[in-house]
Amino acid sequence: MIIEVLVLLISPLLAGGLSLLIHRSSLLHAINLTSMSLLVGAEIMITRTVLKDGPFTALGQLVYLDALSVFILFIIGAVGLACSFYMRSYMDDQVARGVIAPTRLNLFFFLFHMFLLAMVIATVANSVGVQWVAIEATTLATTFLIAFWRRRESLEAGWKYLILCSVGISLALFGVVLTYYSSLHVLGDVSEALNVTQLLPVADQLNPHVLKLAFIFILVGYGTKVGLVPMHSWLPEAYTEAPAPVAAMLAGVLEIVAVYAILRMKMIVDHAVSPAFTGGLLALLGFASFVTAAFFILIQHNYKRLFAYSSIEHMGIAMIGFGVGGPLGAFGGLFHLLNHAFAKSMAFFAAGNIHRRFHTVEIGQVQGLAIAQPWTAMALMIAGLALSALPPFASFVSEVQIVTALAAQGIPGQWLSNSGGMVTVAFSNRFTSLSLTGLFLLCSVLAFSGLLYRITNMVWGTPPEGIVRGEAWTLGHLPIIVLAAALVGFGFFLPQPIRQLLEEATRIILVH
Amino acid sequence: MQISPHTGSQLVDLCSALLLLTCFAIVAQRRLSACVDLFALQSAFLVLTAAVVAFLTGNHHIYIAAALTGVIKVVIIPRVLKKVIERLNVKRELVMNVNVPAGLLICGALVMLAFFITQPIIPLGFLLTRDSLAIALAIVLIGFFTMIARQKAVTQLVGFLVMENGLFLGATAATYGMPLIVELGVFFDVLIAALIAGIYTNRLQDAFDNVDTNHLTVLKE
Repeated sequence: MIIEVLVLLISPLLAGGLSLLIHRSSLLHAINLTSMSLLVGAEIMITRTVLKDGPFTALGQLVYLDALSVFILFIIGAVGLACSFYMRSYMDDQVARGVIAPTRLNLFFFLFHMFLLAMVIATVANSVGVQWVAIEATTLATTFLIAFWRRRESLEAGWKYLILCSVGISLALFGVVLTYYSSLHVLGDVSEALNVTQLLPVADQLNPHVLKLAFIFILVGYGTKVGLVPMHSWLPEAYTEAPAPVAAMLAGVLEIVAVYAILRMKMIVDHAVSPAFTGGLLALLGFASFVTAAFFILIQHNYKRLFAYSSIEHMGIAMIGFGVGGPLGAFGGLFHLLNHAFAKSMAFFAAGNIHRRFHTVEIGQVQGLAIAQPWTAMALMIAGLALSALPPFASFVSEVQIVTALAAQGIPGQWLSNSGGMVTVAFSNRFTSLSLTGLFLLCSVLAFSGLLYRITNMVWGTPPEGIVRGEAWTLGHLPIIVLAAALVGFGFFLPQPIRQLLEEATRIILVH
Repeated sequence: MQISPHTGSQLVDLCSALLLLTCFAIVAQRRLSACVDLFALQSAFLVLTAAVVAFLTGNHHIYIAAALTGVIKVVIIPRVLKKVIERLNVKRELVMNVNVPAGLLICGALVMLAFFITQPIIPLGFLLTRDSLAIALAIVLIGFFTMIARQKAVTQLVGFLVMENGLFLGATAATYGMPLIVELGVFFDVLIAALIAGIYTNRLQDAFDNVDTNHLTVLKE
């Protein structure tokens, strides 16, 4: 298995290094597609091994792969490959129009590969500390990608992203230090004392007070990266200013890697404290994000911001799923992450196409998309329907799973009355879970109507004067078709390996 | 030379307290270049603390971390920041969100908060460096506060670096250093982050003619 793991790590590294040396655009794309294909190939091999033989460590305990991390790798690979195909037409077009100087194209690819590498390391790392280093590295690699247009607004968005995320992540590092502080007493001063494989077996001996504090710091830290309310203020700006493929990667993959880091920590803390403590916090932040974003979706007039707030909303929903827990909640949460990654990257691909044709991000100035760009209009419609969680789409299934779990179990509220007597709210459990379910449904309806109203306004009507009509087929349309097919298909039938992967990953999250 | 654990613990406490003191000085300082100098001084105290801990515990890998701190945070980053400030047309922070006396009071409250939060978990620590965890958290919180209270990009960056210093003190004091691979990674990240932020300040300067983050309101709703 060593070879596959090495391919996973070396192919983005090598591709990034090579990109710096090359200026020809066709070569850059060739390297990019080759390295992404290698990455996906290695992932498929690893997935098969993990499903057959269970989790394994490699490279002297540095790398740990189980069904959960393989599932995240699968999302990285799938969205990354889709992005690579999309970039083939998108980036060349930007260069041709003079938006990007041809000499800066290699910098873009270099940063893109470093971003990918950092995410892969964050996913496969065994040590919680190494994972932290990698997640901070994603911030550093993406900030210039967000500011790539170098306009005032994009510089501002990039700076804000760098500062807010770095600060958030610093808090997470304090959480990691605290985790180490507690594990030293059990494992001793060894360099493996931060490894998940070492921490999980002894998790119930770790000091619960320290781990509670550690979890709060880590949740706030990585939560900033996920874009959970109230740490979300960098997100709408970053997504608006980033080039479309970068926005797709940020929304589709980076958020999910940060969620994964939180889940890893949750598993350890669950053993030491109780799932009610971590679950309650997750559900609380999830609800805050979901409700806030649902209202903000209603007042957006910029389609990229619209998708950004929809990201916050869906991450909130997934967090509610993990927070409520139980097999249904956790499965629904993971499945929702997958659906959101596909739908949101598709939405940003469509947004990139629209921006190139209409040269505006204002929803009011985009009309008649169905006539001007029929393929993109179709993609936008499908992504919009999937993001509103309507029935034929897989996201409907995952949202129903989460809301069912919520209605059945309610959010774990035990931590409220246990947290030092400061807040002694005695919930009547049945009532709370019902009213929370009501709130959940109300906000879904709000988000659904806001999103679809805006999108239908863009799709129908007649295009403004001076907008070219008709859309030529390019390679960039391929990932849109495939993602759309997956979004519809997964709602009816989950392919056996993916279903098995999801079930195994759910078991890992829940294991006690 | 043999030092009694009690004296050793006093020594570590003294060094950590010096770090905390420089934090207050940074909060009270308006001149940008002086803020950077104070940050360098704080990092020097951090090197001292780490060296003392390394000497008293005999953990040699802390020496490596201390040396790296010396090179990166005492020499390289302050130099980069000084270069950045030279290019700027503003030398002083004129408008602050929170004025200096109020800022100092808030920092005092933050120190108390840090001690309050860490109270239940401090008895678990090693005897030698027990109280440093609380001081470390206090420094992190003060750094965080500096980032909110100041508007200049450079001072915000200094606030971020102060937070990092607090974290490093926490890692050294509470746990006698993190695993080496993690520590190296953290240093690498901090260095790159500071360099990137330096580049940004230049670009922001070019784009806005002023590196006052208060001007960064184009994207507000």
